Amino acid sequence: MNEQIQIDSLQFSYQDQPPILQIPHLTIPLHHLTLLHGPSGSGKSTFLKILAGLLPKYGGSLSGRITFPTNVKPALMFQDPSMQFALDTPRHEIEFALENLRVPRHKIPNRTAAALTDVGITKLADRQFTTLSGGEQQRATLAVIVAMQKEIILLDEPFASLDHHNRDLILQQLVKLQQRGKTIIIADHDLSAYTQLDPNVISFREDVRTLTPSEREQLFQQFRSLSQPTTSLPDPTAAAAITLQDFTLSRQNSCLIQQEQLNIIKSHITLLTGESGSGKSTLFQAFINLVPHQGNIQVNQRPLRKYSRRQLGQTIGLVFQNANDQFMNVTVNDELNLSLTHGHHPYFTQQRLATVLKQLGLSELKERVVYSLSGGQRKKLQILLMLMMGQPILLMDEPFSGLDSRSIRAVIDLIRNCQVVQPQTIIIISHQLAGLADLIDYHLVLDHQHLRYQGGATR
Amino acid sequence: MNPSLKLLLVIIISLEISFTNKIVVNLLLIGIALVDLLCHKVKWQTLARLILLPLFPALVIAITIRWFSPGHSTFYALVMVSRLYAYCFLGAVVTTSTSLLELAHSLEQNAHLPAKFAYGTLAAINLIPKTIQEVKTIRVAAQMRGIMLHFWSPQLYFKAILSALKWSDDLAQAMESQGFVEGQPRTHARIIRVRPLDWFITASSLILLQTGLIWLP
Repeated sequence: MNEQIQIDSLQFSYQDQPPILQIPHLTIPLHHLTLLHGPSGSGKSTFLKILAGLLPKYGGSLSGRITFPTNVKPALMFQDPSMQFALDTPRHEIEFALENLRVPRHKIPNRTAAALTDVGITKLADRQFTTLSGGEQQRATLAVIVAMQKEIILLDEPFASLDHHNRDLILQQLVKLQQRGKTIIIADHDLSAYTQLDPNVISFREDVRTLTPSEREQLFQQFRSLSQPTTSLPDPTAAAAITLQDFTLSRQNSCLIQQEQLNIIKSHITLLTGESGSGKSTLFQAFINLVPHQGNIQVNQRPLRKYSRRQLGQTIGLVFQNANDQFMNVTVNDELNLSLTHGHHPYFTQQRLATVLKQLGLSELKERVVYSLSGGQRKKLQILLMLMMGQPILLMDEPFSGLDSRSIRAVIDLIRNCQVVQPQTIIIISHQLAGLADLIDYHLVLDHQHLRYQGGATR
Repeated sequence: MNPSLKLLLVIIISLEISFTNKIVVNLLLIGIALVDLLCHKVKWQTLARLILLPLFPALVIAITIRWFSPGHSTFYALVMVSRLYAYCFLGAVVTTSTSLLELAHSLEQNAHLPAKFAYGTLAAINLIPKTIQEVKTIRVAAQMRGIMLHFWSPQLYFKAILSALKWSDDLAQAMESQGFVEGQPRTHARIIRVRPLDWFITASSLILLQTGLIWLP
């Protein structure tokens, strides 16, 4: 009996702000897969951190009661994989965790090796974390959790920036763990990966509650109907905004991209996909001179290396994968004013901006400190700020990660409206393909170190 | 040699030579350190950097003492220069022959420093490459918003400090969710031992140093 986590009249808030999470009553069964589903900012991450015992220890105040059946402490996998390592390599990290659990010394090597094999990252065991991709880092975190043999595993958007291959790998691993009797709780907006797994779904929309089987089926149906976008191939004579010639991009001595020739078509939207860790984000960084490259990058028929820093800033904009990187000021208002002062996009008149803010659900948040916004709110603000800048070329690195479907809709509409007023060359890296079909013109795939356009007839 | 003892020895030597003025001892220390570095197959680039980087401050000190101090003493100028190089070479001996993880393990196990301190420092050092990349990223992010940040711009530091604060919080949470509890006993995957030989090397080095400081000119 009592094989469940029980939550009663839970309420959590930061300082003097209204509560961001209220749960009158909720039970989570053990040894099951449970999904937390809801729009960004609905308190899913907060809930996981409360379960993990990190909140209110690290801020905020909590009332109510959480009863665990045994006094197990759950393990949590964070949203941002790069910030959860204290040591330098996966092996050292696992050893560190086992030492903390006071595992006898002679058992540590075996348990470390077993966890590495279990997650399939034995090859990465002694690589520095800084040389691992986001997907590889998430798998390393999972290896730590597996080694710790925790009964309850909490995952916060574990697949936010992972491709299908890596997502399936981790998911298989989680299913295996669940079959061994572990309890797995995942916060995610995109439910398409879980439809086969018969999970228990807790909705964070309006009130927090467990969905009935029929409601759950209805929700899954929405995610099943989404399909891959179909695109056409670009016309070889179309004007190019960016041209690569004899281009080579490497990271830590391993070659990521080798490309003889490629045109990114001007004033159109190109989707860029590929395995996680294949070098998509690094390619963006090469476009803005954040990492070195070999060969030629021509931006608007002019070599990239002839651009001064100021000119480059005026020509190419980047929506960073990590929203915090984008912000320069403290409050939402300061950020908006900065983009209004220096931005050139003709779409954003005062009146239109007010409408856009409302559509993105940001209009009430103007006085807020940007860092106190939820992940989804920050993402939307970040995209808006960069669209307002209006550079001729805009690179977007995972702009939809962490956004619920309504927010994705709003962002896509905004990009399309901007495009009508002033066409920009936009490249979007996204693993989230739902709803993109009518936004993108071309689809570029990075596979085996090569970039190739995908699609049907030439447009 | 045991990392903690090595660090202790180097600190004691450094302290002693800062209170004494013996050029020969300083030169001998540089010589011994150089031999040790060569035994550890130090890269010649590292060696060149080790010689060139302190050169400017060394020259400044020498010129100041020789020509602008009341004594105009060539002797003190040479003492200061040799002392500066001795510090650098001794420091290099520690860093080239010991990995930071070994040092952290040793400080925790042999010197019984709190684990929080050992691992906190280690985590901070592992963050250095990330910090450098972060500063570059901040400058690029700024230039895309129409602001040019220079190394003296307060905004650059404001952002960098914000990132650092967030990282430290994230790191503390990550360590905690990996079972780390401050002050709680831990086991050790790798035992770092203090061998009798380590004590012998430390003791005899210190005796030799005292002898040198007393008897050498």
